[in-house]
Amino acid sequence: MTADVGVHAARRLRAPPWLWVPLLIVAAPLLGAAMGETPIPLSTVWQALANQILGAGYALDPIDQGIIWSYRLPRALVAGACGAGLAISGLVLQTLLRNALADPYLLGISAGASTGAVLVVIAGLGGGLVPMSAGALLGALAAFGLVVGLARLSGGGTSARGAAQIVLAGIAGSQLFNALTSFIIARSANAEQARGIMFWLLGNLSGVRWEDVGLALTAVVIAVGTAFWHVRALDAFTFGTQSAASLGVPVGRVQAALVLATAAATAVMVSITGAIGFVGLVVPHAARFLVGSRHARLVPVTALIGMVFLIVADVVARILVPGQTLPIGVVTALIGAPAFAVILVRARCAP
Amino acid sequence: MTGPILAALLALTAASAVGAQPTEYPLTLDNCGHQLIFPARPDNVVSIGQTTTEILYALDQADRMAGNSLWFNAVLPELQDQDAGVERISDNTPSFESVVNKRPGFVPTMFEWMIGAQGAVGTREQFADLGITAYVMPTDCHGKDNLVGSDGTRIAPFDIQTLWDSIGQMAIIMDAQDRGSALIADLQAREAAVVERAGAMNIPDASAAVWFSSAEMELDPYMAGGMGVPAWMLERLGLRNVVTSDEEWPTVGWETVARADPSVLVIARMDRRRFPADDVDEKLRFLRSDPVTSQMTAVKKDRIVILDAEAMHASIRLIDGLEALADAMNGLSR
Amino acid sequence: MTLQAHDIGLRVRRRSLLDGIDLTLAPAEILGLIGPNGSGKSTLLRLLAGLVRPDSGQVTLDGRRLDQMPRRQIARRIALVAQNAETADRITVRDAVRLGRTPWLDALRPWSDADEAHVARALARVDLAHLGDRDWSTLSGGERQRAHIARALAQNPQILLLDEPTNHLDIRHQLEVLDLVADLGLSTVIALHDLNQAMRCDRLAVLQHGVLTAIGPPEEVLRADILARVFGVQATVLIDSHDGSRLMRFQPIG
Ligand SMILES: Nc1ncnc2c1ncn2[C@@H]1O[C@H](COP(=O)(O)OP(=O)(O)O)[C@@H](O)[C@H]1O
Ligand SMILES: [Mg+2]
Repeated sequence: MTADVGVHAARRLRAPPWLWVPLLIVAAPLLGAAMGETPIPLSTVWQALANQILGAGYALDPIDQGIIWSYRLPRALVAGACGAGLAISGLVLQTLLRNALADPYLLGISAGASTGAVLVVIAGLGGGLVPMSAGALLGALAAFGLVVGLARLSGGGTSARGAAQIVLAGIAGSQLFNALTSFIIARSANAEQARGIMFWLLGNLSGVRWEDVGLALTAVVIAVGTAFWHVRALDAFTFGTQSAASLGVPVGRVQAALVLATAAATAVMVSITGAIGFVGLVVPHAARFLVGSRHARLVPVTALIGMVFLIVADVVARILVPGQTLPIGVVTALIGAPAFAVILVRARCAP
Repeated sequence: MTGPILAALLALTAASAVGAQPTEYPLTLDNCGHQLIFPARPDNVVSIGQTTTEILYALDQADRMAGNSLWFNAVLPELQDQDAGVERISDNTPSFESVVNKRPGFVPTMFEWMIGAQGAVGTREQFADLGITAYVMPTDCHGKDNLVGSDGTRIAPFDIQTLWDSIGQMAIIMDAQDRGSALIADLQAREAAVVERAGAMNIPDASAAVWFSSAEMELDPYMAGGMGVPAWMLERLGLRNVVTSDEEWPTVGWETVARADPSVLVIARMDRRRFPADDVDEKLRFLRSDPVTSQMTAVKKDRIVILDAEAMHASIRLIDGLEALADAMNGLSR
Repeated sequence: MTLQAHDIGLRVRRRSLLDGIDLTLAPAEILGLIGPNGSGKSTLLRLLAGLVRPDSGQVTLDGRRLDQMPRRQIARRIALVAQNAETADRITVRDAVRLGRTPWLDALRPWSDADEAHVARALARVDLAHLGDRDWSTLSGGERQRAHIARALAQNPQILLLDEPTNHLDIRHQLEVLDLVADLGLSTVIALHDLNQAMRCDRLAVLQHGVLTAIGPPEEVLRADILARVFGVQATVLIDSHDGSRLMRFQPIG
């Protein structure tokens, strides 16, 4: 038996992409708007959306109306953008570094973002004028700069060895920034503050409002767009960086463009929602399992799975324990780890 | 629950039965399942936690104290004189050595996460090894598992008796049983009075929620859980807490709070400014501008009660808080 | 189309990997590159492919400096089959060969039937047409080597650089690859280990410690004294009575 269960599943789904891609993009956030901490009937959800979008004028409890339009919908949109952005970042890094373990967290981006956030919130950097999210963004970019610089200095480049150097530099960078975060917390926070920041560090979408939607969508469109523009170049990395270069890919420029776009997207997501693990690592593997390794299909499918995955994870986070919301990072790990295990085993069964 | 007045009376007789005798040393007593032995009246007491410190002051023990620590607010005005004579070791969590350095005969604390299995200052054993007796107020160990949840998790609802026990035990340890009995009797009388006053207001099926703070203005807020001190206060005054979590201060989404639509919203006032939402004015601004919370009945009808955060701890300020809440409700019921 | 190396040198951490190499690849010529392990064959091929820039001297293609040409322009003319190019990705053989079309495609010129035809032709040339839909991970070493050559052919290059392409191949496929290379009519530089096979090249270049010690027709280069000096072997020439061709036997010296 050729074990391509996933490919078979994909064939059975052979509705034309122009039909199901937009359908998914619309349906997934609607699911996020329909399900939340408290049960609201679907008809109410529909009427609330109709009121806002079509000006339908159904008489609704303003609290229900507000919950669906002002809390749940922007939250679902940002969750979707965040899932797509993190998944694409993971895919691009895995391809460029030829490393199945690569994801934004491996490169220390989230560790740097956490350090930046802690610096602002606890150590009072910026004197209260800098919002936590701006600190996170700066921290993410600083960490990424440091990791790439370190990789360069240690001989990272277009060689096969360079890929390993980046991974090693990323691990060193993550450790450094995690240690810095712990140091800042130990230095200037008391236990209560530490709890507050831990809450955020685990990833949290509850504070998302419409103001965040524009930034998140822009970041994800840039990241996915850049990846989509470079699908052929990404394919060319199949046999390594040198092989890509010999196929005419301007390796340095392509790497810079892709890594910058995805790193910035990751930083934006981390700054809005905190650190959400597992998406960047697991989703690209799931997508490969479904549609194979060619990026023309892998890029859009990865983005879509990432979007749906995080929206669903956020719904689960809100309904799993009634009256209480779990950190979404916990849910992504709870769903992601077993899913990853299944993929690993299935992929091994493949000839 | 039996009638609150009856309960208060029972507690009163229990307290007075212990009172009025000098303590005999060596003294052996049970503290949260640990046996403590005091060979003599302790000196150089170091207190960890504002509540513990203020109880010791109220028992007139300032002259036997070598230090205090872990402050949340300014000391009660009527205790300022006592406080002036005691060294403040640390505003926050004191280090183990800074406590031990005072050669204390007695180290009481209000929180098990300060001295306990995962104590931020140390474990009971660490203190015992140096011949120092550590003590955790029964308010924080009875009916509570401090190893679960970020602020601990309640196994049973808060019981005011644990506060009377805390005061009574510290009074026995310090050989101040007269002061202890008087303090307890006074607080119990005030509790009985305010409960009676609230009952007379006769508010039918009123519900409430207590907002402490939020890590970021729009993040899920920290609300008072279903079994903690604020829940006890609401219950005493005939209000139903819409939050039912067993955690002390769980995060609960605004969606859940808004849909429960409590008739009264209690918000905490505090001196600390860790998060923007620590500020009462910021809390009010958010409640009135957010598209959802602004639609809540309590916000629209301005049934928002501002309460000192300190009055939400199991402390001698608890009855102050109860009275303040009743006063505010009195205003609302009109 | 001529590829030339002008006095090129490359140093890594003060160690000289290549030094003073002068080389001209004539049109349609097959130039064999021989030398012991570590003598610099792969490094020289990387420089000739423009993947690594020399520290001194320069590589030119029809007189234009390679380091001043866009990558894509180079890749349309020069294809390299490297020594150890592997992947853990799940791709089919045809997909791997399709990668060869990369330098000919861009946003304005998407994949077309012509590209598919190039791929089919390349697969047929290396006798892999029947394995086009097989998963890469299921191929034998020899099949992978041929697929790599097919990928290089799909680039439609005028110059082919092959780094020990007969490694991993059984003897029949070794001979087939060499026949194939000879039939292609492309200018080719081929690094080889088997000196008997090297004899089929138009010219041979001998590398030792990064220096070109001899270059010329095989019968001039594969002399006993050079082989003894460069490879440390004693060579005995035999004549095949079947067709009168020269064969060599080797024994270690000392
Ligand atoms: N990037 C590099 N850094 C340092 N030394 C290298 C590098 N690449 C190759 N070398 C060294 O250069 C020499 C020539 O290597 P190579 O060209 O692979 O030889 P060949 O292909 O003839 O076996 C070897 O000694 C090898 O160790
Ligand atoms: Mg080699």
